[in-house]
Amino acid sequence: MMPTETTELERLQEQLRTEHEMYLRALADFDNYRRRVERESKYTARSGKREIILSLLEVLDGFDRAFQHAEKNQSALWEGVQAIHRKLLAVLQAQGIAPFESVGQAFDPALHEAIAAVEPNGHPSGTVVDDVQRGYRWGDEVLRPARVRVAQ
Amino acid sequence: MAKAIGIDLGTTNSVVAVMEGGKPTVIINSEGSRLTPSVVGFTNAGERLVGQLAKRQAVLNPENTIYSAKRFIGRRFPEVQSEIKNVPYKVVAGPNDAVRFLISGKQYSPEEISSMILRRLADDATKYLGEKVTDVVITVPAYFNDAQRQATKDAGKIAGLNVLRIINEPTAAALAYGLDKKTNETILVFDLGGGTFDVSILDVGDGVFEVHATAGDTHLGGDDFDKRLVDWIAEEFMRDQGIDLRKDRQSLQRLTEAAEKAKIELSSSLETTISLPFVTADASGPKHLEMKLTRAKFDQLTADLVERCVGPVKQALADAKIAEKDLDEVILVGGATRIPAVQALVRRLTGGKEPNQSVNPDEVVAIGAAIQAGVLAGEVKGVVLLDVTPLSLGLETLGGVMTKLIERNTTIPARKSETFSTADDNQTAVDVHVLQGERELARDNRTLGHFRLEGIRPALRGKPQIEVTFDIDANGILTVTAKDQDTGKEQKITVSGSTQLSKDEIDRMVKDAQAHSDEDKRRKEEVEARNSADSVAYQVERQISELGDRVPVNEKARAEQLIGEIRELVKNNSTDVARLRQLGSDLQQVAHALSSAAYSQASQTASGPSGNGRATDDVIDAEFKQTR
Repeated sequence: MMPTETTELERLQEQLRTEHEMYLRALADFDNYRRRVERESKYTARSGKREIILSLLEVLDGFDRAFQHAEKNQSALWEGVQAIHRKLLAVLQAQGIAPFESVGQAFDPALHEAIAAVEPNGHPSGTVVDDVQRGYRWGDEVLRPARVRVAQ
Repeated sequence: MAKAIGIDLGTTNSVVAVMEGGKPTVIINSEGSRLTPSVVGFTNAGERLVGQLAKRQAVLNPENTIYSAKRFIGRRFPEVQSEIKNVPYKVVAGPNDAVRFLISGKQYSPEEISSMILRRLADDATKYLGEKVTDVVITVPAYFNDAQRQATKDAGKIAGLNVLRIINEPTAAALAYGLDKKTNETILVFDLGGGTFDVSILDVGDGVFEVHATAGDTHLGGDDFDKRLVDWIAEEFMRDQGIDLRKDRQSLQRLTEAAEKAKIELSSSLETTISLPFVTADASGPKHLEMKLTRAKFDQLTADLVERCVGPVKQALADAKIAEKDLDEVILVGGATRIPAVQALVRRLTGGKEPNQSVNPDEVVAIGAAIQAGVLAGEVKGVVLLDVTPLSLGLETLGGVMTKLIERNTTIPARKSETFSTADDNQTAVDVHVLQGERELARDNRTLGHFRLEGIRPALRGKPQIEVTFDIDANGILTVTAKDQDTGKEQKITVSGSTQLSKDEIDRMVKDAQAHSDEDKRRKEEVEARNSADSVAYQVERQISELGDRVPVNEKARAEQLIGEIRELVKNNSTDVARLRQLGSDLQQVAHALSSAAYSQASQTASGPSGNGRATDDVIDAEFKQTR
């Protein structure tokens, strides 16, 4: 065999290896991409809703704050406003969104965002004394952590 | 074939990105966010938290929560005295004056803290990609000295990563804009992040970047703008209500968030409302905050912060011995460069040059790092070769409409087939007119070629099935094949250079299509209205001839009258869409009456066509026109 043919053969083999490598890479990329898209399609569908739901939670926060200031008011208007609040909660509940209880629980950064450390006053250290903004779950997912004060 | 990722290891936040299919993608972390706070917390329970979770517990655990580790990495203890004053955690001198963080009696180096952040980002990437990630490119500020670079590299090693390269943040930003392909250009990178401001001047030539000058302010960023706004709102509120919102942690937090939101809104609109109902209360009851803020007011409040950017820019230009007119490119990096006043300042300082800002300024550095990582892992070379078709490809169908088979910006090689049919009874040949362009009507697009497929067996219109395949290879060579499914007869044409239009030409054609889109849509509607009315007329005509004398005389006369009117309108290329549709639907009504009358007369012999009379379901609703 001619030496030039050998080199040509080697060159082609090398080229084939590179091309094959690129082919496999593209194939792998695509396969991984496809799998991830499948996995994430649920998440993506939710992410569209997420933004609007998060801003609705701010409206709910408004109700929570308003109620704190008017606990003893039992007028018909007050009852009506409470009914509106319940209705909004029910709308979200139908989508699988619900507030979770934080007060008295051990502080957990997966669920809580600490905004202050306060005197224990009878609460065990490291537990949530109050939530200044409620936390919400969406199914298994923490949609928004609660904003809490923690005994320390 | 492991993936290599790019990491923008920031002072406040970090971002990780990867090349996928030749395109950089920012990786979403396990909390669903594109940004990961550069924070590490050590809890009393001995747990180590990184990122968002660490940040959430920082207030409870300030002494054991390390943020801004980047401000300490690779530096000597005596050099960081002013930084120590700004942080609540303990910083001590280690061996050889090295900086150490003291956490629950244990010393940690800044490298170790950074390694925990890097590890977390790499883990998130592994989870996202579904394959193990070990190769990384990490970015550092251009002004980092050798010790700081080495320490950053060590942080990668401690995290168990293989650091392919440490690159400069401004270089990464330039890579993200593809500026490495330029020859002999001078680039100014203006990076105003959350808490730091950097200006760099780079030169690029033969794919190599050289940093000529850097300047900046290590304590100036978007957070300062927020704080200005918080102070203003709080003071206005105090004047009104006599309560200082900054004194109450909860009110302050709500205020800070509202201020940041207002700042963001003012980047796209001229006025915004800050609304915080029940923000606080006193003996007289609850208090609400409702305030309008204009962009002009915001600019006035932050004018001195914007002005603080001037010095470093001028200094960098002077150090690089470059006049503003010599700058070829300006790049904006960092979220705060979205502020209109900052952009205006950059334009003013760079001779009115329009800055590059199409890539998200929070992510541009990580994206550039990912591109570099892709190149070093030998990936970019292979995949970037994939091109796209700059314009749509298709063929002319009934009524002079262009039916697109391959949409513009489809990645090539690509292949697409569709089945078409004939437009007239006993049509024995079809003309395939191959087109390129974005306009709706064939005549407004560019003709790539014509060919004719003959020898189709005579049949009713819509019956023959002609499969047309567009196949465009990686070199942009297009082959169009038409095949008669009945006889197996086939004709093809090959067009080279369908992707070789100049950029100007492509832009012109795309713009043209946009400019004419309303008009084109209307014209296409007219063609479709004519086609569909004509198609109904054809079916009813056939129905009448098949049913013969079973057709009630009145219905027949009415149908013929309608058919006549439609034919007249079609012949004259009528543009009266409403009239065509009305006639079509009237005729359809008559056809129903006609067939039910006929069927009730003699159901046993009925064999008339039903539905729209087209051959099969997968034959699309567009036919070749009759060849002349």
